[in-house]
Amino acid sequence: MQDVHGSGGEAHSVQDAIIKVEHLSHRYDTGIQPQWTLRDINLTIERGRCCALIGFNGSGKSTLIQHFNGLLRPTEGRVVVDGIDVGRRGTDLRALRQRVGLLFQFPEAQLFESTVFADVAFGPRRMHLGRHEVRTRVQTALDLVGLPHGEYGWRAPFTLSGGQRRRVALAGILAMSPSVLILDEPSVGLDAEGRAEFYMYLRRVQREQHVTIILVSHDMTEVAMLAEWLFVLHHGQLVLQGSPRTVFAQTEELRSWHLAVPPLHELLHTLRQQGVAIPSDILTLDETFAFLIGGVCI
Amino acid sequence: MAQGRVRNTSSLSRTALPLIDIQHVSYSYPLPAHHPHDVAIAPALQDISFSIEQGEYVALLGHNGSGKSTLARLCNALLLPDQGAVRVQGMDTRDQVKQRQIRECVGIIFQNPDNQLIATLVEDDVAWSLTLAGYAAPTIRARVDQALAAVGIEQLRYLAPHNLSGGQRQRVAIAGLLALRPACIIADESTSMLDPLSRQEMVSILTQLHHDQQLSILHVTHLLEEVLHAQRVVVMEQGRIVQSATPEVVFADLERLRELRLVIPEPLALAERLRLAGWSVARSALTLSEIASEIQGAVHARRTW
Repeated sequence: MQDVHGSGGEAHSVQDAIIKVEHLSHRYDTGIQPQWTLRDINLTIERGRCCALIGFNGSGKSTLIQHFNGLLRPTEGRVVVDGIDVGRRGTDLRALRQRVGLLFQFPEAQLFESTVFADVAFGPRRMHLGRHEVRTRVQTALDLVGLPHGEYGWRAPFTLSGGQRRRVALAGILAMSPSVLILDEPSVGLDAEGRAEFYMYLRRVQREQHVTIILVSHDMTEVAMLAEWLFVLHHGQLVLQGSPRTVFAQTEELRSWHLAVPPLHELLHTLRQQGVAIPSDILTLDETFAFLIGGVCI
Repeated sequence: MAQGRVRNTSSLSRTALPLIDIQHVSYSYPLPAHHPHDVAIAPALQDISFSIEQGEYVALLGHNGSGKSTLARLCNALLLPDQGAVRVQGMDTRDQVKQRQIRECVGIIFQNPDNQLIATLVEDDVAWSLTLAGYAAPTIRARVDQALAAVGIEQLRYLAPHNLSGGQRQRVAIAGLLALRPACIIADESTSMLDPLSRQEMVSILTQLHHDQQLSILHVTHLLEEVLHAQRVVVMEQGRIVQSATPEVVFADLERLRELRLVIPEPLALAERLRLAGWSVARSALTLSEIASEIQGAVHARRTW
């Protein structure tokens, strides 16, 4: 397993931006009074990276990701995804949605075909690809998520475990060869084993297909394992961005935004408060252990 | 497996009967009609014997598919045992006449609160089962007020459940149970859809209800950090109970918990590694603050040494 965190310099220099959001604001006009759910968001996401949007319920995470594949249009500002301006009239939303795959919460509930193969093939078939192309894509996608098509292709989705069904839903999106993959709370409801497997295949997809991954989550432990860059939303505003190292160091602020720091970071925070000098750039269990064993000076 | 129960329950106010008494219970889910006959399916529960005393806080721990939810559903007659018997305050769950009384005595909150909220207003939802049972209006009003206060959501009473956050909806579900004045609350993975902070709140509400109202709690979970406050932890694997002991005893063998496919919280894993490296970190330190002060103590000792 490679270290996905890399060198987290805080100057976020983006060479090749796949998503560019400029002064985005969004207002829902339903209800008695219009509500601003996003206010003046500016961010760029680099191609091929894995980043995460975190925030408490109602912070605007879901509203933001729905702009990325054109389910919502900006009230103000601009969103450009892989060269396509989402807000402009006449934008080919169909082409956009083929490039941006969105995996909703509990995606296994959306499986509807009688076999795994047919379910994964649904998207490619709607793209009017040839029979052979559909077959190749489905087989590649199933192999990629660890459900070899020979063994699983003809099984009914309901005979699989929850974690396997969720991977079928993921394969259904991968078969459309998206360049961006957005996952909304991908691990909720999975047990430890299902979770670990899902993460493993997700990493593989990122590495082998060079897909840009955007995670939406409030589980910081999960985010710490996968993402290289974090965006923190609070009340519709982008309040903090940075590598996991720098973001998790802000324990007090995160708490004030109703976010829980991973347990290990909370422990490190407590230790620092009690006068044990632990450098702020320590992030993982291995690093903590090595540091404590290597000799602590107070 | 006969594991010694270290903390004796004799300190609890013991009535003659345990609140929930499960004797040699086995259970298999009925096979679907088209299931091939030559493929056998392992029973969900095999020869389980287990009891919960009045006012006891028990955590039921195990990974998905270990049978813990099945066992929880047997406790209030949602499922009936194939073999053996389940008795709640002496009432057999197979006795159909008693089932309503059993369910008033033992209430379950499920994983997804949306599955058990029905009314369009919070207070109507909490009053629902009382209304069905035919209580008088003043009694209903008093009980609803108390139930809402017990979980701290009086201010939400005129709101619609679908406008609330997940944690708030779980509280409404608990209030709905409390209105019936149960003796036991079973929380069946009821934190698994919540965010980490609401999860912590949920655990503290259960602890508080146990403490203030002497309710028995059966907390079903796969998360180790949630069982720390229990008086007894019952560990399940493949439909059997494999351990029943205090959190201290269960957490003493982390390797075994890993084998049971449970995730070890990182602070505990750190404490274990330091201990193996020769540091004096007490095994009894389980909570975050306990571990922190143990590590701090060890760091100080090393410096003076």
